[in-house]
Amino acid sequence: MDAFLTSRIVSDILGGLTNGVIYALVALSLVLIWRSTRILNFAQGAMAMLAAYVGFAVLAPSTNYWVSMAVAIVAGVALGALTERTVVRLLYGKPEINPVVAMVGFLLVLESVAAAIWSTTSRSLPTPFSIIDWQLAGRPVAMSPFALYEVVTAVVVMVVVALVFQYTSVGLQLRAAALNPEVSRLLGVRVTRMLTLGWMLASGVGAVTAVLVASNYFTGLTPTTMDGVFAFGFIAAAVGGLDSPVGALVAGVLLGVVFQFVGDFINSNAIILVALGLLIVSLMVRPSGLFTRRTERRV
Amino acid sequence: MIGVSGLSVTYGAVQALRDVSFDAEPGKITAVLGANGAGKTTLLRTISGLVKPRAGVVTLEGKTLTGTHAEDIVRRGVGHVPEGRGVIGEFSVEENLRLGSLVTHHGRSARREALERQYTLFPVLGERRRQAAATLSGGERQMLAMARALVAQPRVLLLDEPSLGLAPLVTADLMHTISDLCAASGLTVILVEQNAKSALRIADHAVVLYVGRVVANDRADVVAGDERLRQYYLGLVE
Amino acid sequence: MATRISAIAVALVAAVAAVAFGVPTARLRIVLALIAALGVVAVALLTSARVRAEHPVVTRTLVTVIVVAVALIGTARFSTNVDTDLSLGAAMTIVLLGLSFLTGSSGQISLGNGAFMGVGAFTVAIWANHHHASPLILVLVLAVVAGAAVGFLFGLPATRLRGPYLAGMTLAFAVAFGAILNVFGSWTGGDSGLQLPSAENAPHWLVHLYPASTASLSVNSVWLAGLTVVAAGIALFFMSNLFASRFGRSMRLVRDNDVAAELVGISLPRARVAAFVISAAYAALGGGLWTIVNNAVTPSTYGFALSITILSLVVIGGIGTIPGAIIGGLIYAYSNSAIGWITAHTGLSPQGNVASQLNGIIFGTLLVLTIVFAPLGISGALRRLWSRRTW
Repeated sequence: MDAFLTSRIVSDILGGLTNGVIYALVALSLVLIWRSTRILNFAQGAMAMLAAYVGFAVLAPSTNYWVSMAVAIVAGVALGALTERTVVRLLYGKPEINPVVAMVGFLLVLESVAAAIWSTTSRSLPTPFSIIDWQLAGRPVAMSPFALYEVVTAVVVMVVVALVFQYTSVGLQLRAAALNPEVSRLLGVRVTRMLTLGWMLASGVGAVTAVLVASNYFTGLTPTTMDGVFAFGFIAAAVGGLDSPVGALVAGVLLGVVFQFVGDFINSNAIILVALGLLIVSLMVRPSGLFTRRTERRV
Repeated sequence: MIGVSGLSVTYGAVQALRDVSFDAEPGKITAVLGANGAGKTTLLRTISGLVKPRAGVVTLEGKTLTGTHAEDIVRRGVGHVPEGRGVIGEFSVEENLRLGSLVTHHGRSARREALERQYTLFPVLGERRRQAAATLSGGERQMLAMARALVAQPRVLLLDEPSLGLAPLVTADLMHTISDLCAASGLTVILVEQNAKSALRIADHAVVLYVGRVVANDRADVVAGDERLRQYYLGLVE
Repeated sequence: MATRISAIAVALVAAVAAVAFGVPTARLRIVLALIAALGVVAVALLTSARVRAEHPVVTRTLVTVIVVAVALIGTARFSTNVDTDLSLGAAMTIVLLGLSFLTGSSGQISLGNGAFMGVGAFTVAIWANHHHASPLILVLVLAVVAGAAVGFLFGLPATRLRGPYLAGMTLAFAVAFGAILNVFGSWTGGDSGLQLPSAENAPHWLVHLYPASTASLSVNSVWLAGLTVVAAGIALFFMSNLFASRFGRSMRLVRDNDVAAELVGISLPRARVAAFVISAAYAALGGGLWTIVNNAVTPSTYGFALSITILSLVVIGGIGTIPGAIIGGLIYAYSNSAIGWITAHTGLSPQGNVASQLNGIIFGTLLVLTIVFAPLGISGALRRLWSRRTW
C-alpha cells in the first residue's frame, strides 16, 4: 500500500490534482462571467493578482494568514463590483471584440499599476501549513499539508458556489438573469444588480485562487503571476465549455492531471505544446466544449 | 384598473403605437385584438415597462406606472406573460414558479403555500414539478407561464397570445381557466390575441388595433357583432 | 482648383526644404531630390479627383510613394537614434497592418501577434545562423512563410469558432511562446536567444553617398531605416489593394453579416482562416525585420507584453484601417522618447517602479478609453474631423 501511494502514477495524479483544482477555479470564474454577460474576462487573472496584493502586501507582513486571505477576498469582490460598474457596463451590447480589447487593456493597467506600487520582484507569501510532502516508509507522497489545504479550499469554494446557485433565491435569480434577462425583469429580478453580483462572486473566487497560486514558493506573488495560470484556466474553460460550470471544473482537474503526466513522462516544456494542441483539437471537434449538453428546445 | 391614455411608441423611424387610449376594468377581461404588427405586443411591453413610450401614460388605480422600471412594475402588481410564454426551459417547473414568487415579500412558508395553490389550480404542473420546463408540451408551458405570473398574486395580468400554437381544444380550456380566474379573484386581465374568435368569447371588453391605432373600443359583444370590424380588422369571415 | 494648386505648392516647398538644408554631399542631395520629386508628382496627381475616382490602383500606389518618400528623406536627415526608432516603428507598422486587416475584415481579434512576430524573428535568426550570407529577401520570405504556417495552425479553429474563443486561444499562444521556444532550445538558443552571425551592413552605393568621415554606424542605421520603410511601403501597397479587392469586400461582409455572406456564396471558414494567415504572415515579416535591425533576437522581447502592445497600438491608431496602422507604428516608434520626456519633466526617478511602468499604465488606460469612448481610434476621429471640415 505504501509503495502504491508513493508510486510514480499516484504521485502524478496527486500533483496533477493540486494544479488541476487551480485551473478549475480560474475556469469557474471565467464561466460565471461568460454565462451572465457573454464577456470573456481577460483581466480575471490580473484582478485576482491585485486582490492578493491587497491582502498580503498592504497589510503588515506579520498579519495573520487568515486575516490576509479574508482581506484579499473582500478586495477581490470589491474590485469585481467596481470593474462591472465602471468599465464593463459600457460594453454590453457592443461588438464582441470590444469587451475583449477593453479587458486586455484593463489587464495591462492592473499589472502595470501593481508593478509600479509593489515592483516586479517576487514576494513570497506565508503559508498556513507545511509545504513539505508527507513521508510514507521513508518516501515522499506527492501531497503536502499545504497542497491538501489547496485542494480542500478549492473544493469548498466550488461547493459553496454550487450551493448558492442551486439552492438560494439569489442563485436562482443569478441563473435566470443569465438565461433570459428580459423574462427575468418581468418577474422582478433586478438584472443589472445580478450582473454586478456575478462579477463580484467570480472575482471573489479569483482572489482565493490567486492567493493559493502565489503561496507556491516557486512563483511567489508578482504582477504577472496569474498570466500563465490564466492561460491554463482559459484552456480548461474552453475545453470544458464556457457555458458549463461543471465542464470547466472537470476539464480543469483533468488537464491538471494530464499535464502532470506529460511533464513527468515527456518533459515539462512539452506541457504547453500539449495544452495548445488539446485546445486547438477540442475547439475544432467540439467548439461548444466537451461537456456542454445541448438542450433540446421544442418550439 | 389599468388606464392607458395617449400612448405613442416609436422604434427608430417606425411608429408602433399612435395615441392609444383605453381602460381595463377590474374583474373583467379586456381583449386587445388586431392583425400581426398592429402593435398589440408593443402595447403590453409598454404597460409592463420593457418599452419606454414617447408620449402618453399608463396608470394603475390612478397612479402613474410610466417611467417605472419593469422590475418594479411587477412589484406593483402587474404580471406579464410574454409572447412565446417565456418559461425558462433550463429551469424545472418548480424553479420557474419559485422565481415568480420572489417578488412577493412574504416569508418562505407563505411562498411555499402560493406555489402549492398553483399546483392545485394546474394539477399537471404539480405532477411535473421536477421536470425541466423545456420538456413540457405547448399547453403545459402556457399554464406554467400563467402560474408563474399568478404566484406573485398580481392585480393585473397581461397575457400575450396565450393560444399561439395550441390545439383548439387546449385553447378553449385555457380560455375557460382565464375566465374563471378573472371572475373568482377580481383580477384585471388584458388579453392580447390574434385568435379573435376565442378571445371575444370570454372577453367583456375589446379594443381593436390597426397599425398602431385604436379603431374600436367597446363591449366585446358589440365588437363581435360589428360586421365591418369582423371583416376588415379581425379576419372573421363566415 | 485653389486647393489643388496650394497642395502642390506645399508639397514643393516641403520637398525643397527637406532636401536643401544640411545634406552632406552633392550625390546624396541628388538622390534625395529625385525621391522628393517623385513625392511631389504623386501629390500633384492625387489632387485630381478624377485620378482618385477612376484609377484606384494608381491612387494607392501614389499614396504609398508619398509615405515612403517622406520617410526616406527623413532617414537621411535624422540622427542614428531616431532612425533606429523609425526602423522599429516601420516594422511595427507592418505588424499592425496585418492585425488591422484581421479585425477590419473579419471582426476577429488576435492577442498573439507578438508571438507570431517572434516566429518570424526566430526564423530569420535560425536561418542566418545555419546558412551564412543568404540574400536578405530570401530570409524575409522564409519568415513570412513560417508565420503563415503557424498562423494557419491557429486559424484552423476559426472555421468553427468566433471572437472571444479565438482571442483566448491566441492569448494562450502568446503567454506560452517563451516556453515553446525553450522546447526547441537547441535551435532558438534558449533564454539568451540568438545573435546574427554578421550585421546587415549598408551596401556600397549608399556608403558612397556620404562623406568618408561619416561613422559607419550612422550609415547603417540609415540603411536599416530605409529598408524597413520600403518593406513597410510594399506591405502597405499590398494591403491597401487587399482591403479594396473582392476578397477584402467579401471579408467585410463576413464580419458584418455571417448569414448574408454565406447566402451569396462566400466560404466562411476559408475566408476566416485566410484572414488569420495573412495577419500572422505580416506579423512574422515585422518580426524578421526586427531581428535584422537589432542584429539579434531574445525571447523576452516576444512575450505576452508585446502582444498587448500591438493590440493597444492598433486600437489607439484606429482598428481595421490602414491609416490607423501607420499612426500606431509612429506612436510605437516614438513612445519611448515621449515617455522619457514625461519622466524627465515630472521628476520621476528614471529607475523607479513608476517610471518603468509608465508605458503600461498609459497604453492600458488609453486602450480602455479608446475602445469604450472612441472605438475607431485616432484615424476614426481624424476622419470625422475631415468630413466635418468647413472649407
